[in-house]
Amino acid sequence: MTDGRTHAWLRPLVALFLSVVFFLPLYLVLVNVFKPSAAIVADPAGLPAPPTLANLAAVFSRPDHLFLFGLINSIAVTALSITIVTVLSAMLGHYLARSRHVMAKVVMVMLICGLMIPVPVILSPITAVLKSLGMMTTLQGLILVNVGYYVPFGVLLFMGFVRSVPLELEQAAELDGAGKVRVFWQVVFPLLRPASASVLIFLGVWIWNDFLTPLIILGPDSGTTVTVGVYRAIGQHQSDFGAVFAFMFLATLPILVFYLALQKNFVKGLTGGAVKG
Amino acid sequence: MTKTEQGVRGRDGLRTPRPPHDGRGDGHRAHARARRPLAPVLGRFALFALPGLVAYVLFVLIPIGMTAYYSLTNRNPFNPPTRFVGLRNYGELFGDPEFLRALVNTVVITVIVSVLANGGGLLIAMLLDRRGKFYLALRSVFFTPVVLSSVVISVIWQALLTDDGLLNVLLRRLGVENPPGWLSDPSLALYSIAWIITWQMLGFCVVVYLAGLQGVPRELQEAAAIDGAGPLSRFRNVTWPMLAPALTINTVMLLITGFKAYDQVQVLTNGGPGTGTTATMAFQVVQTAFTGNRIGYSSAMAAVMLVLVAGVSVVVLRLLQRREVSQ
Repeated sequence: MTDGRTHAWLRPLVALFLSVVFFLPLYLVLVNVFKPSAAIVADPAGLPAPPTLANLAAVFSRPDHLFLFGLINSIAVTALSITIVTVLSAMLGHYLARSRHVMAKVVMVMLICGLMIPVPVILSPITAVLKSLGMMTTLQGLILVNVGYYVPFGVLLFMGFVRSVPLELEQAAELDGAGKVRVFWQVVFPLLRPASASVLIFLGVWIWNDFLTPLIILGPDSGTTVTVGVYRAIGQHQSDFGAVFAFMFLATLPILVFYLALQKNFVKGLTGGAVKG
Repeated sequence: MTKTEQGVRGRDGLRTPRPPHDGRGDGHRAHARARRPLAPVLGRFALFALPGLVAYVLFVLIPIGMTAYYSLTNRNPFNPPTRFVGLRNYGELFGDPEFLRALVNTVVITVIVSVLANGGGLLIAMLLDRRGKFYLALRSVFFTPVVLSSVVISVIWQALLTDDGLLNVLLRRLGVENPPGWLSDPSLALYSIAWIITWQMLGFCVVVYLAGLQGVPRELQEAAAIDGAGPLSRFRNVTWPMLAPALTINTVMLLITGFKAYDQVQVLTNGGPGTGTTATMAFQVVQTAFTGNRIGYSSAMAAVMLVLVAGVSVVVLRLLQRREVSQ
C-alpha cells in the first residue's frame, strides 16, 4: 500500500518518458517538414529555425501533379465508398436483425466469414471480375470493391445496434401508415446515428490509408490515391527527406482532421443514445 | 465484445421472447407468410438486403470460389491455355523454399507482434490508467500511429533505419563505428519490420486494455488490498482475469494484422535484402500473381494462407473465450 504513495511522482515521469520516446519518429517528421533539405542532414532533430514552407509548396507544384490528383481521387473514393457502405450495410443489418427466417442466419454467417479474408487472397480474382465488368483501373471499380469488402463490417456493427432500437417504434410508425422505406429512413436510420458514425470513422481511416487495393486496381497508368502517391514519391527522390515528409504530412492531414472531427460526434452520439435508451 | 453482445442479446430476449426452440420455431413466420402476399416480401428483400449482398457476393464470395478454382489450374494469362492440374500446385508449394521461407517469416512477424504489442500495450495501459488531461494527452500520443497509413509509417521508419538514416547518424555521433544495417542486414531486416508493425499496433492495444481496466471495480481492488494482497497478487488475481476479453480482442486483431503483413515489406525491403529474407505470405502471393503472372500457383498459396489465417484465428478465439468463461 505504501509504495503507491511514496513513488507517486514516478508514474507521470515514466509515462512521459515512454511517450516522448514513442513519439520521436513522428516528431522527426513534423520538424523536418518545415526545414530545407540541407538543414535536415546537418541537424535532423533540431527545431526548424526559421521554419520554411518551401517543402509544402513544392508538393503542390509538382509537375506530375502526383499530390493534387491523388488528393482528389482519395477524397472521391473515400467519401463515396463510406457513404455507400454505411447506407447499404445499415439497410442489410436492419433487415437481417429483424428477420426471423433461417436464411437470415445463413447470410449472417456468410458475412462474418468475409471479415477474416485478407485482401491478397482474393485480389487476383477481383481484378478478373472488374475486367469482365469493364471497370478495371477505374475509380468506380475501386469504390465497388471497397463496398463489397467492407459491407460485412458495417452489417456486424449495425446489427448489434438495431437490437437496441425498440421494435414497437417501427410498428407504431407502420400503424400510422408509413411504408417500409419511410419507416427505415425516418425512424430507424436516424436512431442508428452512433453506429453510422463508427462505421464512417473506421472505414474512412481504413480506406484512405489503404495501399494494396488501390495500387493494384488503379494500376500504374491512371491516377492513383495519395497513399499510393506517398509510395511513388519515395521511389523518385529517396534521399530528399524534406520533400517526402512534406508529401506524407499533406497526405495524412485530411484523414486526421476527419478523424478528430468525427470522433467528438461519435462520443456525443453514444452518450445521446444512452440517455434516450 | 462478447460481453456487450451478450448484454444486447439478453435485453432483446427480454423484450421480445423468442418462440420455444422445438424445431417449429418458424410457425409464426409461416402464418404471416400465408396471410401476406409474396410480392412485398420479395420487394423488401430486393430493396433492403439485395444491394449490399450483391456487392459482397461479387467482390468477396465469388472471388473466393475463383481462388479455390484457379488453385487447381495452371492459369497464366501470358501462357495459355489454362489446364486443370488437380492438386499439383499444392504439392509444389510444400517443396518450394521461397514459399516455406515466407511462411516462416510470417509466423515470426506474427508471434513477435502479438507478444510485444500485447505486453507493451498492457504495461502502458496500466501506467496511463489515471484521470486527468495529462494522461489523456499521452493516450493520444500512443494512438496516433493507429490512424496513420502503414505506408506513411514505413516511410517514417525508413528515414530512421536506412544505413545513413537518422538513427545511424545519431549512433555514429555517439561513437559507434559500424552501426547495424537495420534494413539492409539480412539477419536483422525481418525483426525491424516486426518492430515497426508493433509500434503501429501498440496504441490499439493500449486503448483496448484501458477500456478493460475501466471495467475493473475499484471496490474489488480495495477489498483485495485490505485482505493483505500485494500489488503483484492483486494484479494476478483481480485485474488480469477481468482483462480476459481485452486480451481476446487484442490477440485476434494482432494475429490477423501479422498474418496479412504486406505494406511494410513492399515499401521498405521489397522482400529483400537478398532473396526473400523479409517476404511474407501476402507479399509472396501478390508477387507471384502480379509480377510472375502465375495465377494458378499464387491462388494455391492464397488458399493455404486463408486456411491458416482462419484456422489459427478461430482456434485462438475459442481458446481465449473459453478462458473468459471459466473465470
